[in-house]
Amino acid sequence: MSLNYENLAALTPRLREAVVNLLYRMADDELLIGHRDSEWTGHGPILEADIAVSSMAQDEMGHAQAYYQMLHELGEADPDTLAFGRKPREYKCAALVCLPKGDWAFTIVRQYLYDAAEMIRLTAFAAGSLRPLAQLATKLRGEEKYHMMHGRGWVLRLGDSTPESHERMQAALTQLYPYAMGLFEPTEYDEHLAQAGICPREDELQREWESAVAPVLTEAGLKVPEHLEPVYGGRVGRHPAALKELLDSMQLVYKIDPGAKW
Amino acid sequence: MTDTQWPIFEVFHQQARGEPHVHVGSIHAPDAEMAIILAKEQYCRRQACVNIWVVPASAITATLYTDDDIFERATDKSYRESWGYKTPKHVAMPHGDSPAQVAESDSEVKHM
Repeated sequence: MSLNYENLAALTPRLREAVVNLLYRMADDELLIGHRDSEWTGHGPILEADIAVSSMAQDEMGHAQAYYQMLHELGEADPDTLAFGRKPREYKCAALVCLPKGDWAFTIVRQYLYDAAEMIRLTAFAAGSLRPLAQLATKLRGEEKYHMMHGRGWVLRLGDSTPESHERMQAALTQLYPYAMGLFEPTEYDEHLAQAGICPREDELQREWESAVAPVLTEAGLKVPEHLEPVYGGRVGRHPAALKELLDSMQLVYKIDPGAKW
Repeated sequence: MTDTQWPIFEVFHQQARGEPHVHVGSIHAPDAEMAIILAKEQYCRRQACVNIWVVPASAITATLYTDDDIFERATDKSYRESWGYKTPKHVAMPHGDSPAQVAESDSEVKHM
């Protein structure tokens, strides 16, 4: 594929709409998982783990900001308004990132499944035809590589450490796997984005993700759930009730004074 | 009382290639690989870093402070100190060898 879009202005109106949708999905996922991880700040199982997960929360919010900035360059509102000024229905995040933070096993499994998906997307973006997105993805990949090391390290150790840790990890995996599959909810834009060489089709990304996570989960002594129905709806604005609660908390200060300068 | 803490690893941090690894603190971790993973955020989130070493604290043998008189010099031996000369930083290291050479060429260093 020899298509190449040097900058955002090179996109046709139809492709522009597809890219805007893609960026909302990415940005909203990052913002919300970042917020969920930040709920561990001060509550981590040990100091070292608390610091690591808090830093990773900041990383994810930084990624969200970068995607919101690109959306702003495409004519959407400014990043603060996009992050804090929208109604739940306007968010395009997957249900996976909305769920309350759960126990540590839940957080680790969610973060691992999420980061593996993000890494696959970033790698595809980096090799893709939309130059500003390729450049951004290349920049974000270093942090994401660390997130993968962190997630893999915890998954392998907690998966078969003690009967209790195994049980908690397996329960989290069984619960979260269909939600993680929902990260790859097909959209009406998939074909167009794939043809333009910007982002592969969601089903293709999902297959790649499944073959990336399965060996690690198996090595950790966990059973990868099979024949599950993915949880869809997030990409079209249908969210679990947990999202509204999260947004009420996250947007509280913004709503008091939207124009506040810090 | 049983100690429920994970073992301690000492963390050494390198700000740029060729610079010495400097001890920055310690960390609790179940093993060396997790020590590196956790030390990265603990010690490298506020400053530049290109490399980390972790060493089990149990692998370190130290002198006793009650024996610190062994380091005292009974006569003036300031002529031994290399600080008076204009020398590159790695040569001026009081222990002679450049740690950078150790870091990049010593095959005994394990990588995660």
